[in-house]
Amino acid sequence: MDSPRRERPTYILAAALLTMLVRPVLADDKACLECHGSRQRIADAAEAMELKLAPERLAKLVVPESEAMTPHAGIGCLDCHPKAADVPHPAGMLVGNPCVTCHDDELRQLNRSAHRDPGGDANLRAQCWACHGAHDLLPLRDPRSALSPVNVASRCLACHSKQEYLGGVHGQGVQLAGLDFAATCVSCHGGHDILAPSVASSRVARRNISFTCGKCHGRVAEQYRRSVHGAALTDHDNPDVPTCVDCHRAHGTVDPFLPRFRLASPEICGRCHGDAALMQRYGLSTGVFTTYVADFHGTTAELFRATSPDQPLNQAVCYDCHGYHDVESVKAVGQAEINRRLLARCQGCHAGAKFPFLSAWTYHYVPSPTKYRLIYYVRLFYRLAIPGTIGFFLLYIAVDVWGRRRRPQ
Amino acid sequence: MTHRQADMVRRFTARHVVNHWIMLVCFVGLVLTGVPQKFPAQEWAKGLILLFGGVVRVRFMHHLLGTVMALQLVWHVVESVWRHLVRRLPMSMIPRVADVQHFLQQVRFNVGFVEAPPAMDRYTFAEKLEYLALVWGTAVMVATGLLLLYPVRWSLLVPGEVILAAKAAHGGEAILAFLSILTWHVYFVHIRHWNTAIFTGRLGEEAYAEEHSLELARIRRGDMPLSARPAAGRVIGFALITLAVVGGVLALMWWLRWSPAAVAAVTIAGRG
Repeated sequence: MDSPRRERPTYILAAALLTMLVRPVLADDKACLECHGSRQRIADAAEAMELKLAPERLAKLVVPESEAMTPHAGIGCLDCHPKAADVPHPAGMLVGNPCVTCHDDELRQLNRSAHRDPGGDANLRAQCWACHGAHDLLPLRDPRSALSPVNVASRCLACHSKQEYLGGVHGQGVQLAGLDFAATCVSCHGGHDILAPSVASSRVARRNISFTCGKCHGRVAEQYRRSVHGAALTDHDNPDVPTCVDCHRAHGTVDPFLPRFRLASPEICGRCHGDAALMQRYGLSTGVFTTYVADFHGTTAELFRATSPDQPLNQAVCYDCHGYHDVESVKAVGQAEINRRLLARCQGCHAGAKFPFLSAWTYHYVPSPTKYRLIYYVRLFYRLAIPGTIGFFLLYIAVDVWGRRRRPQ
Repeated sequence: MTHRQADMVRRFTARHVVNHWIMLVCFVGLVLTGVPQKFPAQEWAKGLILLFGGVVRVRFMHHLLGTVMALQLVWHVVESVWRHLVRRLPMSMIPRVADVQHFLQQVRFNVGFVEAPPAMDRYTFAEKLEYLALVWGTAVMVATGLLLLYPVRWSLLVPGEVILAAKAAHGGEAILAFLSILTWHVYFVHIRHWNTAIFTGRLGEEAYAEEHSLELARIRRGDMPLSARPAAGRVIGFALITLAVVGGVLALMWWLRWSPAAVAAVTIAGRG
C-alpha cells in the first residue's frame, strides 16, 4: 500500500534534473506566456480578439512564468494542451486527462479507490488537479505545495466536512506547531488508494484502525491489541469493543493529557459500560458507571467536568485503576491480585491507607441484602423513614389546618 | 396583626436568638452546599455548584459550616449540663408523656371530638419534636460527617462498609432534616402563626395564650423558675463532665490529625 509514495522521490529527482537541464522555459512556452504570462497581457490579448471575458475567467488563464518552473518544467504547454497551437484557441483545450500519460499507476489505484467514478468508467470523480493543482504544482515537501502536510487538509475539507480535524491534536500539530510528521488526512486514509471505512481492507476499517494509528503510536497500539478490548476486535472481529477512535475520536482528537480529556473519560467509558443491552451480552453490570459517579471520586469528576472543565483532577477516574490501552478483564486477574494493585493505587494518593481501607469501596457492587447489606439497610431505612416522617407531618398539618378553618377565629 | 409593645410577652433571651441565628446560617448553608453534592448528575446541582465557585469551594464551605454546627452541639451539651445540673433549671425542652397526650388532644380537638385544645407549657409538643429531631439529626450528621471526612484514618478502626453506610446515612438524614424544616417548622412558625419570637425575643399575647397558656398564666403570677445557687458537688460534677466532653473532642481531633481530610484538589496556576 505504501509503494507509490516510496517511488515518488525518484520522480522528483528526475524532474529536478530535467528542470536544471531545460532551464530556461522551453521556447514554445515563451510564445504562450507572451499572452498568458500576466494579467495585463491576457487582458490585452482578449481585448484584441474582441473576447468579453469575466475577470474570474481571465484570472484562471494567467500562468506566471514562475509557475512554469515546476517539477513539470520539462513538459511544454502543448504536451497537455495540443490544440493550443491554433490561435485564436478552439474550444476543448484539455482533452481527457493528460496526467495519465505518465502517471498511469496512480490512475489504476484511483480507479479501485473510493474516489473512482460512480459510473464505473475509467474516469475520475475529480480530476488530478482538483487536489494537486495544475500549473503551480510543486514537490510535496515544498510547504507551498497544495498537498504539503500543512495544506493537504484544506484540499480534502473542500469536499469532506471534517473541520474538527483542524481543532484536533493532529490538525493543530500540523497547522500551529509546524509538525510535518503529525497525522494529516492522507496519513490515515491514504492517497490515491483511499478506501471507505466499510471496506475491509481500508486503512480506517474498524479492525485496521489500531494498525493505522500504530504507524506512529506503535507501543500504545500493541498494548491495546493485547488488552481485553483490542484482542476481541483484532482476534475475534468483535465490533462491540472500542478501538482508538471511539475514545480519542478520529478527527477532533483531544490531547489526552489535557484535564478536559481526563474529566470526560468516565463518560467515554460509560457510553458502553452504562449501556444495559450491550453489557448484558458479556455478563457485565452497568452498575460500574453509576457506582463510580455516586462515589466521591466520580462525584468530583462529574462536577469538575460540568463546572470547570479545564480544572486538573487528581481524583481517580476509571483508567487510573483499570488502565487504558492495556485494560484487562477483572475476571481474568483474580481477587487477590486486584486487591494488591488496588491498594497500591489508593496509596498513590491516600498516604497511610492500609489494607482495611479497601473495604471502604464496594468494587462497583450495588449494595443488596446479600452484598454490602449494611449500606443496603441504611438506604432502605431512609427510603422508608423520609416519606413516613414527612407523610406524618403533612397529615397532621392537614388536620390542623382543617380544624382551624372550621372554628371561628 | 400588629401588637402594641404592651401586648408582647418576653419569650426568648439573647442566648436563644444568637443560637438560632448560628443554627439558621449553618443549616441553610449546609443544605445549599450539601444537596448538590448528593445529586451531582442533576443540572440544577451543577448550576448551584457553579454559583458557589466550584466543588472545591463548596466542600470547604460545607466542612467549615459543619464544624461550626458540631461545635454548637458540643456547646449545647456543656451549657445544658451547667443549666440543669448546677443551676437546676427545669428541662423544659425534654419530651414527656404529657406531650403525647397534648398531641392526641390537639388532634381530637381539630377533628371536633373535644371542646378545648391542650393547655401547654413553655414548649409545645411540636417544638419538642423539632428539638428532638434537631439534636438527634445534628448528632447523626456530625458523626457520619466525621467518618466521611477522614476515611483513611477511620478504616483502621471500623470496617470500611461503615464509612460507606455513613455516606448513605449522611445523605438520607440530610434530606429528612431539610424536608422536616420545609414542612413541620415552616408550618408552625411561618404559616400557623407568623412567629418572629426567635428573632425579636417577644411573642404576641394572643399567640402566647393559644400555644403556651400554662406558661403565660405562670408569668402573670410572677412564678418564674429560679436558678439554684451553684453547690460545690454539682460544680465538680459539671467540671468532670465538661472535661470528659472537651477532652473527648480534643482526643478525637488529635487521633485524626495526621490524616488529611481529603486529598487536596489540584489548583490551576494563576487562579489562587
